[in-house]
Amino acid sequence: MTVNPFEDPDGTYLALVNDEGQYSLWPAWAEVPPGWTVAFGEDTRQACLDHIEANWTDMRPKSLIEAMGEMGE
Amino acid sequence: MTSAGPTSGTRRMGTGAQDAGAQDTGPRAAGPVNPVSPAPSVPGGQLEDILPLSPLQQGLYFHALFDEAAPDVYTAQLTLDLEGPLDADRLAAAAARLLAGHPNLRASFRQRAGGDPVQLVHRRVEVPWRQVAGVDPERVAAEERGRRFDLAWPPLVRFALVGLGPERHRLVFTNHHIVLDGWSTPLLAAELLALYTGEEPAPAPPYKEYLAWLARQDRAAAREAWRRSLAGLDGATLVAPELGDGPAGEPGRVRARLGEESTARLTAALRARSLTLNTAVQGAWALLLAQLTGRDDVVFGGTVSGRPPELPGVERMIGLFINTLPVRVRLRPGETLSGLLTRLQAEQAELLPHHHLGLAEIQGLHGAGRLFDTMTVLENYPAGTAVTEIDGGLRLAGAGGTDATHYPLALAVTGGRAVSLRLDHRPDAFSPAEARRLLDRLVRLLETAAADPDVPLARLDLLTDEERALVLAPPEREALPPEGSVVSAFAAQAARTPDAEAVVAEGLSLTYAELDRRADRLARRLAALGVRAETPVAVLMDRSAEVVVATLAIARAGGAYVPLHQGHPPDRMSWVVADTGAPVLIADRDPGFACDAAVLRLDTPDGAAGAEFPDASDAGAGTGSPDAPDAPYGAAGAESSDTPDGAEAQRPAAGTDGEPAQDPRRARIHPDRLAYVIYTSGSTGTPKGVAVRHRDVLALAADHRWAGRHRRLLMHSPHAFDASTYELWVPLLTGGTVVVAPPGELDPGRLRDLVARHRLTALFITTALFNLVAEEDPAAFGALAEVLTGGEAASPQAMRRVLRACPDTVLGHVYGPTETTTYATYHAVQAVQAVQAVQAVRAVPGAAAPPIGRPLDGMRAHLLDGLLRPVPPGAVGELYLSGAGLARGYLGRPALTAERFTACPYGTGERMYRTGDLARWTADGELEYAGRADAQVKIRGFRIEPGEVEAALARHPSVGQAAVVARSGHLVAYVTGLAVGPEGGSPGGSTVGPEGGSPGAPAGGAGAAGGGADPGELRARLARTLPEYMVPRAVVVLDALPLTPNGKVDRAALPAPDAPASGRDPRTPAEERLCRLFAEVLGLDRVGADDGFFDLGGDSIAVLRLVSRARSEGLEISPREVFARQTPEALASGTPGGSTGREVLLPLRAAGGRPPLFCVHPGAGLGWPYSGLLRHLGPDQPVYALQARALTEPGHTAPSIEAAALDYLERIREVQPRGPYRLAGWSMGGLIAHAMAVELRGRGEEVALLAMLDAYPGSGPGVVAEQDEALSGLLAAIGYRGSGEADDIMAFVRAHGGRYATLDEPTLRAVHRHYRNGVKISREYAPRVFDGDVLFFTAARGRGAHAPAAADWKPYVTGAVVDHAVDCDHESMLNPGPVAEIAALLRKELR
Repeated sequence: MTVNPFEDPDGTYLALVNDEGQYSLWPAWAEVPPGWTVAFGEDTRQACLDHIEANWTDMRPKSLIEAMGEMGE
Repeated sequence: MTSAGPTSGTRRMGTGAQDAGAQDTGPRAAGPVNPVSPAPSVPGGQLEDILPLSPLQQGLYFHALFDEAAPDVYTAQLTLDLEGPLDADRLAAAAARLLAGHPNLRASFRQRAGGDPVQLVHRRVEVPWRQVAGVDPERVAAEERGRRFDLAWPPLVRFALVGLGPERHRLVFTNHHIVLDGWSTPLLAAELLALYTGEEPAPAPPYKEYLAWLARQDRAAAREAWRRSLAGLDGATLVAPELGDGPAGEPGRVRARLGEESTARLTAALRARSLTLNTAVQGAWALLLAQLTGRDDVVFGGTVSGRPPELPGVERMIGLFINTLPVRVRLRPGETLSGLLTRLQAEQAELLPHHHLGLAEIQGLHGAGRLFDTMTVLENYPAGTAVTEIDGGLRLAGAGGTDATHYPLALAVTGGRAVSLRLDHRPDAFSPAEARRLLDRLVRLLETAAADPDVPLARLDLLTDEERALVLAPPEREALPPEGSVVSAFAAQAARTPDAEAVVAEGLSLTYAELDRRADRLARRLAALGVRAETPVAVLMDRSAEVVVATLAIARAGGAYVPLHQGHPPDRMSWVVADTGAPVLIADRDPGFACDAAVLRLDTPDGAAGAEFPDASDAGAGTGSPDAPDAPYGAAGAESSDTPDGAEAQRPAAGTDGEPAQDPRRARIHPDRLAYVIYTSGSTGTPKGVAVRHRDVLALAADHRWAGRHRRLLMHSPHAFDASTYELWVPLLTGGTVVVAPPGELDPGRLRDLVARHRLTALFITTALFNLVAEEDPAAFGALAEVLTGGEAASPQAMRRVLRACPDTVLGHVYGPTETTTYATYHAVQAVQAVQAVQAVRAVPGAAAPPIGRPLDGMRAHLLDGLLRPVPPGAVGELYLSGAGLARGYLGRPALTAERFTACPYGTGERMYRTGDLARWTADGELEYAGRADAQVKIRGFRIEPGEVEAALARHPSVGQAAVVARSGHLVAYVTGLAVGPEGGSPGGSTVGPEGGSPGAPAGGAGAAGGGADPGELRARLARTLPEYMVPRAVVVLDALPLTPNGKVDRAALPAPDAPASGRDPRTPAEERLCRLFAEVLGLDRVGADDGFFDLGGDSIAVLRLVSRARSEGLEISPREVFARQTPEALASGTPGGSTGREVLLPLRAAGGRPPLFCVHPGAGLGWPYSGLLRHLGPDQPVYALQARALTEPGHTAPSIEAAALDYLERIREVQPRGPYRLAGWSMGGLIAHAMAVELRGRGEEVALLAMLDAYPGSGPGVVAEQDEALSGLLAAIGYRGSGEADDIMAFVRAHGGRYATLDEPTLRAVHRHYRNGVKISREYAPRVFDGDVLFFTAARGRGAHAPAAADWKPYVTGAVVDHAVDCDHESMLNPGPVAEIAALLRKELR
């Protein structure tokens, strides 16, 4: 069967991030969808995942973090 | 046959080298063209040459031999329409000269004694020529095609001239592909017409020169090149895997053209990149095929001319050169279209010198059988038929032909000013409309290649506007899901309908206002325990009204509830609590595991329960006053499990005096905050927590589909199962009622009762339970407005039953992963129609089931291929979901979240969830489930990543590799590295059957020896950390895991484990040892003391293994004891006076409530082989074997079949004094059973069943031959090739094992003697007529042309002889495969 574009062990990848600070693994060959920017890569799948694991420390979307901050939560 | 018109005639004209040029019109003779006499023997003098076959000819030759009865798909035809005055005799003579000029057209094909085929070139052959008039030419053509060529009877061409009018004729030229290919026929036609005009065309080089060229080729190099070309290919590319490649009648045909402008552009684009049209066609086909099959590594057949350019004059040669060879195309996602074509052309060029190898040989190199079922051909045949004016006013008005494809899809492309395309399709695989869509898509691809050849593949759009509109359709309801939180939504509902019933449980009913107040009080206590925004709070509670209160309370306190699954092992629950970092665990019991969370017990009298129910303060109008009786917070009910002595919770409450920081009810909760976390299995070895937002729950609850019907909902799913989201929040946020099912499992009876008692209007039920209710009580849903079901592949039968039984109930088929909040799609099942044949053929798993429907409100579904492009309707893609309901991600797992919740190309900054599910769009824009893209499985609705179980297995020190798959609703684990038994390997001295008993050399690994783990221990260890449904039912120990060519575990090749045992535990050491031995030999992880060896799947070979294994442990049991006693219990008791295994009436299984089946021994006299029936006939079916008296009375010989029958009748009447009797017999046993049945009827007894297994009446040589063959077959099967003398046979058998190695010498001698006698008395048996029916089993393999048949019994039976062909030879009828088939039919008759 097809290797899923996100599961190719030999492929190269990007770590994308959107305005909410959410990350996405992304195959390097594919066009970067609107609203996302490259945060890391191109690199191996594992390197991208490692980058995400190290940098996405608060998984709440940015707007929520801000809202909760305002409410003192 | 032909109904020829008045001028019809048939002639055969002599032709040959010596009379070339003679105007021999031959004698006219009416009658069939092909004589039916056997093929002539060929005296050497008549032969001009003896030639080898080309590899392609060999392929066709074996194909023709293989299936003699079917129409030959390799019959080709060319028709020429001739207008003007025609001299038929001259044309016939031209035909004769044509054959004279081409030796290979006079070839016949034979096998040498050694088996090698050769082609014999005959000096003279008769040219089959017939002339008819006044008949439909199409019919003549069809008749000509329908008559098989006999390859032994030359020539393999024939002519029919059909008179259509005074000056109109059609010449039908039919040939077998083995002598001519499609390139040659136009050449031949041109030559024929030239000969007619009297020209003498220059002779083409003979085919023989090609054969000589072939002989010079480096075959090894060719094999290596093809092996390289297919290396790493993971499976075939089949568009219609269910179809064989047999003939399927006339193919359907659709045609298309590339406009002249596009063609010119394409030609220019290709030329600029040095690419050929053939490469473009093959590349386009590969892309189409990839999309159709969902593969990124595809193979199809590519037709090549097969004419080696270095051979002079090859383009004019007549014969078979053309070849269809596998074209393998790997798609690389980063590549451009022109990049793909350039690479493809280079790869194909490498193979150019190796086109002479046959397809069968190439497929054999890869080893996976049929590689493809589609093909392409670029038709660039020589324009030999361009001549139109022939001679004296005769002109060629047209030409046609058939070269019927047997592929489901075959693409033929012709170049020229406008490229024309023809897609032939098997109508049983593709409808004309589907074929049309495919061809249109192909044209678009070629147009793109012309217009934008350097487009990246990922941007190549293959959809039409309509298709795009369909698959990219916006959600049915684009309406924004409500903003807010479950807290605000519930508060609003409670304000609207304070007195409506919110929750009903056994003996308790709460209004919205009451529920509100109770939740509020508990929320304050939680706040006091430190629960704040997004604080995880674990919940371990039985289904109850309290769990509803607790869930709402956690939300209200701002926290996220984390339901624990009650059935899970304590270790796993503890792990989950730690993973979330929950500071509080709400429980209605002692949780039974250690954790750092404060435990809030709702069940203790001084704890929450006492305070909450009944609630004296309900009259207090729900102000949530701090004076409420449940203060002080964090005291009595909350205890830390670290302090089992009941000390107070160590966590300080936030409000020092129990006053929460703010009123939780008034707290505004952001819609993006977490509502709950539900854990599911994780492929990397640990569970993962799906973190769901308030927004998501609101979106689910607000879906328009629930309105009206989903008022009173049954809550029965485990809290930790995501269906609880629907069960809880849909009613509570829409003013409905949660009806809490009492604890315990739901069954059809309780369900019906609950529906009625609580006036339920809707419920969700898992697929498994739905199917059970459908089976037992489909009307149980009748009073519901709607029943939702889903979670696993639906059963159309079950749905049909429910629809029929509940006409007023809507049946909703739902689908959805936890990550998108319970349900993602919905389909209201109207009627489950019989699937159309076309669909059924291209079945993907679940294709017969109803669709999973359309996305819920606000949600979008994307079906994407490997290049993240949307797939067209009908093609399989992977399902991605975006929009409403998408969870935040996996709690505390950023990388895992980024892998599955990915950027969405169809929005701005949006994410989509990658489900791993495969699906297709229907033409109506609904989704059909098509299986999993990965290994994930569902067991009883629970989603399981086999990787998690594999990781748990691999943590055991003695396990090497592990693989886990689901089989028949259970997990099965396969592990390596585990010692099979304490001995490890098989000691040299033991006797092990040749069929593969020996485990071979011990693995030699220290791990294997050191671990000492057995499958049972392994399961016990897993059960400590995994939920019960994740613990494999069976653990199979393998030497190595089977691998695919790519080196991955080949899950499909993992062997099926045998039926699990269920008997009692052993009570004595002897029983225990035998249970263990049974389990080892049968590959089971447990065997009960009273489980029967054969019931568990043992066969006579396994008996041998058992005996030798036991012997190696110093335990002496004999095979016959195993046959006689069967269970560890009986074997351990060693009861003296038991069976010897050789008695005339051997009870294979005496117990059981049904009337017994009596099976009569075959020629060897032993009845043991019938033990194979036991497992399949079921535990309540007694089976007795009748065995030859010679086994117990060495001097005995049965004088006749009748005498044996009378003898056995006496014995069976001891067991069953009166009829109806059930008899069966294999081989000679069939004759005896027949004689017994005749005798019984004569005595007025009933015979309910007479089954005969490959037994035939008659005293002629046929029987003797059969018996002798059976004997030699029997001996051959165990490898014996000796003299046939008893001593010699016995010496061999003892040395080599096998079924008969279990016999002691006197018994073996008796067997042999009995065999001889059996042959004699079988021959002498003159059957009388049996008054009844016969159930017959024919061993279909290895039957000679004159083999006797079931119908031979007709004279000896008054009733029907119902014959079943079993795919095995005579000797192997009771081997595991065939015996299962036979038993299945017997079982039907026995019921």
